[in-house]
Amino acid sequence: MNIRTDGLTGFLDRGECIGEVERLAGEARAANTPFCVLWIGIDRFRQINSSFGHRAGDNVLAKLAHRMKSLAREGDRFGRMGGDEFVILLPGRGVAEAEGTAERLQQALKVPMEIGHVRVRPSGSIGIAQLNTVEPLLHVLERADRAMLAAKRLGGGQYVVSGGEKVPGRFGNPMAQEELTVEGLLHEALETGGLSLHYQPILSAGDGKLEAVEALMRCRVRERNLAPASFIPVAEKTGLIVRLGEWSLMTAARLAQRLGADGAAVKVAVNISRAQLTAPKFCQALHAVLACTDTPADLLELELTESLFMDMSDNVRRNLAAVVEAGLPLAIDDFGTGYSCLAYLKDLPATKIKLDRAFVVGLPEDRKSFAIVRMVTQLARDFGMAVVAEGVETVDQYDCLREAGVTAVQGFLFSRPLPEYQLDQWLQERSGQ
Amino acid sequence: MNTDTRNPNASAPLDDHLAKSIRQLGIPPRPAILEKVAGEVQRDEPDFRRLAAIISADVSIAGSLLKLANSPFFGYRQRARTVQSALSMLGLNAISSAIATIVLRKVLPPLPRLERFWDASARVAQVSGWLVQQIGARDEVLSEDAYTFSLFRDCGIPIMARRFPGYFDTLAKANADPERLFTEVEELCHPTNHAVIGCLLGQSWWLPENTCVAIRHHHDFVSLRAGAGAFSPTSRRLICLAQVAEKLIQDATGRGCCCEWTKMGEASLEILAISPADFAELQAAVRDFLAQEDAA
Repeated sequence: MNIRTDGLTGFLDRGECIGEVERLAGEARAANTPFCVLWIGIDRFRQINSSFGHRAGDNVLAKLAHRMKSLAREGDRFGRMGGDEFVILLPGRGVAEAEGTAERLQQALKVPMEIGHVRVRPSGSIGIAQLNTVEPLLHVLERADRAMLAAKRLGGGQYVVSGGEKVPGRFGNPMAQEELTVEGLLHEALETGGLSLHYQPILSAGDGKLEAVEALMRCRVRERNLAPASFIPVAEKTGLIVRLGEWSLMTAARLAQRLGADGAAVKVAVNISRAQLTAPKFCQALHAVLACTDTPADLLELELTESLFMDMSDNVRRNLAAVVEAGLPLAIDDFGTGYSCLAYLKDLPATKIKLDRAFVVGLPEDRKSFAIVRMVTQLARDFGMAVVAEGVETVDQYDCLREAGVTAVQGFLFSRPLPEYQLDQWLQERSGQ
Repeated sequence: MNTDTRNPNASAPLDDHLAKSIRQLGIPPRPAILEKVAGEVQRDEPDFRRLAAIISADVSIAGSLLKLANSPFFGYRQRARTVQSALSMLGLNAISSAIATIVLRKVLPPLPRLERFWDASARVAQVSGWLVQQIGARDEVLSEDAYTFSLFRDCGIPIMARRFPGYFDTLAKANADPERLFTEVEELCHPTNHAVIGCLLGQSWWLPENTCVAIRHHHDFVSLRAGAGAFSPTSRRLICLAQVAEKLIQDATGRGCCCEWTKMGEASLEILAISPADFAELQAAVRDFLAQEDAA
């Protein structure tokens, strides 16, 4: 095989070197072994060139190349990327070993050398990058280059390990993994399919018929479950909640569409965040979801917490009107736990109230809770709204809620939130009964 | 579609539903193969062999993936001969997008008037990828990102056309409007626009955030001209690359130019730092590239 090498140093030339990175990195990835690239830039080389001339400069480069090569271990490859920049490819070596090599290299480069009668002390800036599993093969080279430039900015004679990138897998850097915040994980979930919806059935209190399911978001990244209590607040703070919300709408609408096409029209209820409802173009997204999924609008229900109605901005008002115009039913979520203000009930186009579990948990003994439940159901009936009780866990609670007049129930007594395939099984079992 | 990736049996009923829904309604649900790929990619130790097995199960996707990895714009010297080597060359980050681009066309509603639309999208995608190689990768935009973005950019159009009668007339109006945003013209006639649909579809197919944002704003010349702030440099760059690619193709093929270049051309060239002289060179070079792609 004809391998092109650099005439001055005997190293692989640039083109050959890129081909070699591709080959070695490919092998490493296939065999699940580590692979590192060192990118070496000679510090202040331009100065040497301009002070002593190009011939002397070439001489220095040749000597430095020789020093580098003297540190070679079996399997290492040496390349000249042009001018005063070199790479060393280290198949089978992880970052720790590469750092060792970089330190030895720097020692070797620093040995003074004579140019004519002048004694110079060369030094090198080194960038280190380890192949990870997520990037195209040649990126490892680019990262090494960038790390070298970062090392140069430190003033020369330093090395920098390409960091900040996610390095999952067996050779992952545990520090980098610890530093990943929930936000990072959320981003990753959004780009790798780590989100899912689970669905909790809502049953008619009268005949136990399935009325709807509530979609609840789950996040699983790197084989770890993130609790909604940990990722929802982060999503709200960072604005990611809008994207999560749009994703939920789309996913929930698909389920509604599919169940409808299978002949079981079941409403799917989705929680809508404040950030979504206050955005001026919320309804465009809503219509986009309906257009994408061909879901009948009345099968997609939006659940809004009552705190949203405390400060009805123009955007919120407009969005709510547009939602109703599009034919989507609205439900008020967590009713009774915010700063309940009954005035808004009068104007709000909602068709359903979801009574917070706080009023259910003490039943049937807690007569005050019972009184509130009965009062709310009475009010709702007069408004022509349905009342769903959340968090129903015992038969006694269920009986008590029926006595109070709630129209539908939801809770572990009937089913926990189910992933989609289990919901299908659940539906099948019920239809078989 | 949504599945619990921990359950190995989850995919069986899912595939049935998927097949059924495509047959019955032509809706674009997230394809099961993307779910399976996602399930593997997000493991702690993704296994390229398992991934290859998942993808090889669909011969046409496997074939397209090989073709994609060997496409001139990736610039690899080796040729991928197996699915596993194609995967290994592309890297985990690119795989989901690559597969999404391959299955996209299969699942969108077929519309007789849109056949040329797909060819045009594919062409813009190729030239966008090529363009990255010509002017260099910046702001985290690689060839494959530009390719994916350009292919998804207008995928909302067939969906709009299916949903809203009269959409083709709207398209004609929007193409000819010299002042308003393309999407504004759509919104005058319909309750949503193709950019929002494309973005939401991209999100539900797990495309990268920056790509989805770029899809959503790809006609927003006002924000583009206003500079930083509206969206990330990555999104901005994606939008500009596709815009310039489209213009290069139009110039090379002599096909008519719509108003988008008037609205976005100058800003796009500026953001990509393409000088008039560079642009003239690109105009010459793209002809060779197109000929090469046609021959491949």
